[in-house]
Amino acid sequence: MNRFIQDVSFALRQLRKAPGFTITAILTLALGIGANAAIFTLVHAVLLKNLPVADPKTLVRVGDKDDCCVNGGTPDENDYSLFATQLYEHLRDNAPEFEGLAAMQSGIGFGGITARSNRPGDLPRAARGEMVTGNYFQVLGLKPYRGRLIAPTDDVIGAPMGVVMSYQTWQRDYAGDTSVVNSTFVLNTYPITILGITPPGFYGDRMTDEAPDFYIPMSLEPQFGPAHPDTLKNRRGANWLYLLGRVKPGTDLKQLQAKMSGALRNYLATLPVYQKQDQAKNLAESHVVLTPGGAGIENMQQEFGTGLKLLITVSALVLLIACANIANLVLVRGIARRTETSIRMALGAQRTRLIRQMLTESLVLSCLGGLAGLAVAYAGTKALLAMAFPDARNLPIDATPSLPVLAFAFGLSLVTGLIFGVAPAWVTSHSQPADALRGSNRTTGDRASWVQRSLVVLQAALSLVLLVGAGLMAKSLSRLENQDFGVVTENRLVAHFSPENAGYKPEQLQALYDKIDQDMHALPGVEKAALSLYTPLEGNNWGEGVYIQGRPEPHAGDPIGASWLRVGPEYFDIVGHRVLRGRGITAHDTATSTPVVVVNETFVKKFFPKGENPLGVHFGISGVESSGDWEIIGVVSDIKYNNLRRPVRAMYFRPLLQVAHTKPEDDMRSLYAGAIMLTTKGSVEGLESQTRRALANINPNLTVTNFNTFAGQIHGQFNQERLIARLTLMFGVLALILAAVGLYGVTAYSVARRTSEIGVRMALGANRGSVITMVLREAMVQAGIGLAIGIPVAWMCARFVQSQLYNVGGHDGVVLAGAILVLAIAACTAGLIPARRAASTDPVQALRME
Amino acid sequence: MIELRNVERSYRAGHTETWVLRRVNLTIHPWEFVTIMGPSGAGKSSLLNVLGMLDDQWRGEFDFDGEAVHVMNRKQRADLARRRIGMVFQSYHLLDDLTVAENIDLPLSYKDIPKPERQALVADTLDRFQIVGKKDLYPHQLSGGQQQLVGIARAMIHKPALLLADEPTGNLQSKQAKEIMEMFRQLNEEGTTIVQVTHSEANAAYGTRIIELQDGWVQSDTAGVAEGAQPGVRR
Repeated sequence: MNRFIQDVSFALRQLRKAPGFTITAILTLALGIGANAAIFTLVHAVLLKNLPVADPKTLVRVGDKDDCCVNGGTPDENDYSLFATQLYEHLRDNAPEFEGLAAMQSGIGFGGITARSNRPGDLPRAARGEMVTGNYFQVLGLKPYRGRLIAPTDDVIGAPMGVVMSYQTWQRDYAGDTSVVNSTFVLNTYPITILGITPPGFYGDRMTDEAPDFYIPMSLEPQFGPAHPDTLKNRRGANWLYLLGRVKPGTDLKQLQAKMSGALRNYLATLPVYQKQDQAKNLAESHVVLTPGGAGIENMQQEFGTGLKLLITVSALVLLIACANIANLVLVRGIARRTETSIRMALGAQRTRLIRQMLTESLVLSCLGGLAGLAVAYAGTKALLAMAFPDARNLPIDATPSLPVLAFAFGLSLVTGLIFGVAPAWVTSHSQPADALRGSNRTTGDRASWVQRSLVVLQAALSLVLLVGAGLMAKSLSRLENQDFGVVTENRLVAHFSPENAGYKPEQLQALYDKIDQDMHALPGVEKAALSLYTPLEGNNWGEGVYIQGRPEPHAGDPIGASWLRVGPEYFDIVGHRVLRGRGITAHDTATSTPVVVVNETFVKKFFPKGENPLGVHFGISGVESSGDWEIIGVVSDIKYNNLRRPVRAMYFRPLLQVAHTKPEDDMRSLYAGAIMLTTKGSVEGLESQTRRALANINPNLTVTNFNTFAGQIHGQFNQERLIARLTLMFGVLALILAAVGLYGVTAYSVARRTSEIGVRMALGANRGSVITMVLREAMVQAGIGLAIGIPVAWMCARFVQSQLYNVGGHDGVVLAGAILVLAIAACTAGLIPARRAASTDPVQALRME
Repeated sequence: MIELRNVERSYRAGHTETWVLRRVNLTIHPWEFVTIMGPSGAGKSSLLNVLGMLDDQWRGEFDFDGEAVHVMNRKQRADLARRRIGMVFQSYHLLDDLTVAENIDLPLSYKDIPKPERQALVADTLDRFQIVGKKDLYPHQLSGGQQQLVGIARAMIHKPALLLADEPTGNLQSKQAKEIMEMFRQLNEEGTTIVQVTHSEANAAYGTRIIELQDGWVQSDTAGVAEGAQPGVRR
């Protein structure tokens, strides 16, 4: 024990006396270990974490796609992941292999619920609610924290209205007040009993940064569902539910999947859409895929999966580079201490004693680096989560770094340090002490070993790969963010609200919209105001199939889809649509005037490809019989509304309150505007609170669920891309720094060992320039070999990131050239410093050295 | 104490074999103060390395206090050297990261000696060599002579039977060199057998016997006729 303490004490002293080496080594370890732990914590939490429920391994999801939120028609590849209410019941009743099969709402939006407690002075607040079947909590095997959870008896028409509150919401918004349980809240104007609180740690059936605040029985779908005030219960083709169940032990999932697919087809065969002749193939191919449900509905995993896997790969490469750096650092140090090792042997040190001392030193260094890595991991994880989910309120991801990964990264660094730290001592202890003690530099040889150079070459190659990746991501992000969406964002603001949550009936909406319009225009600084169903680039989209009057019935698979939107009169001006032909929507387009639509340029190209004039043409969306519903009265310029990476979709715009002649009942839901867009004269202080107050003055239940600048809303669409681009850039720079440090270290060591040689050269006539050239050439050769290896590797790896890129090829020559240049400059700088030092050698001093 | 019989050492470089020691026959008795002299490349340091068991690549027979070193393995030789031999180097070879006291303690730390006992031995040695006041200094804070003194103290702390010194005053000024040689004489009088390698006639005068090497051969030995010397080089 005494000896160990002595070794540790000596090791610490050694490290203190070599601050450059120590700080470099610790920083290298910290960054390598910490970065990996942070990334993997995020990956583990998003991709690998199971739901905090009983026995997640026996959970099975019926479906494998992230489709959302209310879909009609036929899904892509006839693969059903969303289900109508009656379809769910049909599947449930025909699959006794499930101990329980629960259904849950697919789209959970913030502001879908307005909640107000019974506490005096409590204001309505926007919240998220998720509709779930009565067996939801049973299937998940959960017990309440307080009160009780929803039971099948609650999910019955006519049962007392009760909901369950999430633990996080209870703590955050109601300070854990126990009187909340069994109290009456007002949800969307309906009095509701809070039945209980979910267990702490439960965040719902999916990993999300927007966990539900309330769980609502499915029987209350007409009051709280996505189609309110309409209901989806009887719409046999409206698919809006995810299904998650627990299978009985011993169930053959393949057989169950086939059976459920058959049951699905039996149901679909009764739907009008599948009774058409040309849908026979789609019907025959309709199926479900059963997937492991332990992680719940894996939408976030699908959305983030590729990006996170890319980040894991990048961080692993950085760890490799860090290990190569550590290896070089301790190797150089070990070689420089050969004489000391030999002296110790001459004084009686046994080999095991020497090796043990080296081991202790490497262990101490690794421990210090590991501790620093822990700090970096913790801070890095928090920063990563903030970058990935900037607006999250209830993020169910713990920022504590993943211990297994910390241990792995620490262990790898430790092993690297031990091997490369002990190796020189092991080699020296097997050689003759006399050789080392004879004195150094009788000859002018003894340059950096091939091991060191190989490590530097490896670092340079990997750094280039990472720099190229970072360059591609940065360029892609720039292209994505700077593309012309067609919008105007300056002095534009967006306020989201929910008149349906405030209990408005369709017949009350005209008066409401008129009042909102009037009051918004009255706000100081507001120039224009318009209501709309939703806004560009907020992640929303409504779409239908278009049936042009006078054209034959389209076949199954014909591309007749178009997105659509209801807008107020000033909307086009605010958002930036230019009226190209005809006119826009005006105040005269009321509920009782002729139903009209305005279409965008892409709509014209899609449906009038031969250049026909669209003005005056009629179309509908409820089959050929509806094709006379609306008249096209204008064409506006294109704007991107949803998927940033895809081209603009065909789109049509309708007045706020006009109802289609055909199937008007299907139009009711869309009458409820969801957003108010404002244009202001410059920046207006306090506009958000004024807007909130104005709405609350109209109706206290009219809450603003979100207020943002238009630019900010658009900016938020790139969070994932921005995160990945930033992180790959950060890792690329980190890798570059580590490689440069490695190259500097090896070059500096080489210069130190060649001092006599340099002295001899200078004594024989070499000038400063030739000495610098000589040293720099050696450094650049190593970097050059690294580049020669790295370029083809980067070329080959490009295909793995192609899916993440927007408008940038994986083999972008400019990015590659840029990365090569950056690496060359860094290598040149790293080599120049010791080269200049070498050129400053005093030949007399150098020759006097042994 | 030491008996060398037909000890030879060579270095092979490619097809060339260079002999540094040739058929060395030597007997050193206890309490002798032997000086090994000769021109550069004569094999002086090589002979010292063999005696100090720092070199295993020699041939011949070597007895140390009756023990046959030539049949020992590396571990056994190192163990013998650790117990019985101390070395003093021209370049001092102190460890820069250790204090004077720690440098002196170093050989003891490689033995199974309890710490209090080691501390006592170090204290005695510091006192003996009158460097108590310097015990917490680092080598770079000492003069050349002081460093060599520490080197000698380190070599002597475990009371070796044999002290080997390779050009011990090579890097010192004459005054310092004289002090070191006086120290050696005192140690020899106290019973330590000393073998030194030196170019200096003045240093050689402190010893009781001079062995001259040339081209690896023992050319002369003031203790007697140099056995195995080449004809023509005998005195």
